[in-house]
Amino acid sequence: MADSSVRRALKARHKAEKRRHSRAERKADRHKSTKIAVFRYAYYAPAFKYFVEQVLDCEYLDLPKSTKRTAELGIQVSADDVCAPFKHMMGDWIEALEMGADILVQSGGPCRLGYYGEIQEKILRDMGYDFAMLNFSHGIEHGYFGWGKEVIKLVNPDIDIPHGIRQLLACGHMMTLLDKARDIYMAQAGFEVHRGEARRIWEALADDFCTSASKSDIDQAFARFKGAMRELEVDKPAEPLRIGIVGEMFTAIDETSNLGLDEKLMDMGVEVHRKLNFSNRYTHYNEENLRRGISDYVAYDMGPTSTLTLAAAKGYMAAGFDGIVHAKSAGCTPEIDCIPVLQRMSEDLHVPVLYLTYDTETSDTGLVTRLEAFYDMLAMKRLKVRR
Amino acid sequence: MGTRTIGIPKALLYYRYGVLWKTFFEELGLAVAVSPDTDRAMLEAGDAASIDECCLASKVYCGHVRWLIGACDAVFVPAFASGNPRCGFCTKYQSLPDMVRNAFRDQLAEAGCEVLSLFVPDASKPKKVREAYLGLAASLGATPRIAMRAYKRALQAQRAVDGAKAQAQAESLRLIDQLKRVVAAGGDAGVPDIEADRAPIPILVVAHPYVSHDAYVAGEVVRGIEEAGGFVLFADETDHRRACKRSFEFSDTLPWEMNRELVGSILELQGDVAGMVVLSAFPCGPDSLFADALVRGLRDVPILRLVLDAQSGSAGVQTRIESFMDILQYQAKGGYLHG
Repeated sequence: MADSSVRRALKARHKAEKRRHSRAERKADRHKSTKIAVFRYAYYAPAFKYFVEQVLDCEYLDLPKSTKRTAELGIQVSADDVCAPFKHMMGDWIEALEMGADILVQSGGPCRLGYYGEIQEKILRDMGYDFAMLNFSHGIEHGYFGWGKEVIKLVNPDIDIPHGIRQLLACGHMMTLLDKARDIYMAQAGFEVHRGEARRIWEALADDFCTSASKSDIDQAFARFKGAMRELEVDKPAEPLRIGIVGEMFTAIDETSNLGLDEKLMDMGVEVHRKLNFSNRYTHYNEENLRRGISDYVAYDMGPTSTLTLAAAKGYMAAGFDGIVHAKSAGCTPEIDCIPVLQRMSEDLHVPVLYLTYDTETSDTGLVTRLEAFYDMLAMKRLKVRR
Repeated sequence: MGTRTIGIPKALLYYRYGVLWKTFFEELGLAVAVSPDTDRAMLEAGDAASIDECCLASKVYCGHVRWLIGACDAVFVPAFASGNPRCGFCTKYQSLPDMVRNAFRDQLAEAGCEVLSLFVPDASKPKKVREAYLGLAASLGATPRIAMRAYKRALQAQRAVDGAKAQAQAESLRLIDQLKRVVAAGGDAGVPDIEADRAPIPILVVAHPYVSHDAYVAGEVVRGIEEAGGFVLFADETDHRRACKRSFEFSDTLPWEMNRELVGSILELQGDVAGMVVLSAFPCGPDSLFADALVRGLRDVPILRLVLDAQSGSAGVQTRIESFMDILQYQAKGGYLHG
């Protein structure tokens, strides 16, 4: 791998510190002033911040909300036919580097995502940027141990390892609670009496999580959120229209990528469900058992989030949901291959599915029209079936 | 057994494991029907059965499956997953059996045809692969002994074919090298029927085997290169194991085995060829990143990148190939100013 000057500078700094200070002195102050940026992804920023500050013990570079410029920067430097998350991330990286980031964190993943890091690093270097990338596609052969080694080597050699592991677990816990909170929010926010109140409660939780420093802080913040949500004044019909969102890991969740799909449905007064999230895919994920429920349709694991998409869709259909929205980035091969299966499920169980493909759109008018038409159709279907 | 016919679609991984599959089933005493070469009707049938956004290669595959439904008792659609994050497959190969089962559910039921499949979680582990094939043979009613013999013979047959291709390529390279030396010496000594400036220009075609060897998809390109005075070498024919090993010089996180073999082959051959034509089927997931990496990573060798879709006319492709070959010829003579 190309050794960038930042990487070299970091190494030199780690070495110089080793020479100047004794081990005890170094371990007394483990904090590094290295600025670390993570790409923007859905509502997980508080967890990323926690990871950087509490686990890596470095400075977190807080990226502001993405703008039209972010997307444009990304599109300009990316290949045309690459999937949309790549373009969004490129925009994030450029903005992060402009803001002084030293290290960029790329998560890697099971499909094309695993190759993102290397290409993104190459593109940014060709553009002349200087930085280091913590790419979790490296060290993957050795699992958690390999990743730990990668982190210690590149980011912070003085990490307090037992403390780091404890905080990593707390970080995972925060991800799970964020997902739980989002589920509660999506089920209720469409029926609030005072417009914008639910969103305020949700954003307060994000703020609370951003200032958390331990597992108990996290738990307390979540308890406050639950209390506030319970007190939220709602006017919910006995049987509201229910829609389940399924699809690709990035686009179906990330608000910037899907142009606020879930919010738009909530605004129409729909109870929104989305089984797809980080904790359901990673923290407690048992692919084989999840596949049992859809064995009428598929025999094997079809790739990254396929089983979760199909199992969730079947679950929603069986539970009497009114409709399903399948959201994915253009060219997402695993999710494209899920579509024939979803079509058969839809035929058999008589639940309509709306298929949405996103690239880096800037206008949401087309989306709104399609969602409204879908809503109207579902509402009419209900009236007809009742009669 | 014996009365059943297994249909093998001549698309995607057939171009990599076709000999193995055919030999394997024949050794088990089954009849094998391989679909014919791709044609327009087949592609149209595949297109009609596919989601619009599927890649061209997948649509071609569906066309072959459609052709086989009714012409055999079971269509063989294997699944290859990415158990090894450094040497895996595009997720397309993993989802094929279930995609086919669902896309052709009615047609399969109507024709009384089934989908025969096996799941290879990690193709870089020979024992696991063998286990998968033996399991398949057992499910077809073969005894363990017959199954093992069939698999061994099938593997040998595939290796023999791959080895012969690699050897032929090495032989071509040797001849190219010899020719170069003759040309450099300024004479036609030893090679009487080739004049120095009409010596064939070696071109490396970099594409997945199901693109470069499917005459309907890439035939026009290969013919175009040859007509313009090129000599075509295929990157997928270089010794797979050696190429895969070599590819780690280029990239340490590239996740797909077939792309690794291509880039390894490029590293082996780039000194011997005048230019490269990088072909991909529209829209290819792996290639969307891989082609970008090639163009950014290889600066010494001229590259023409072509994306192939189901076009009926070939004029556009022809023009691009001709101009690419023209540029190479001018370069060989020392650039435009010295033409």
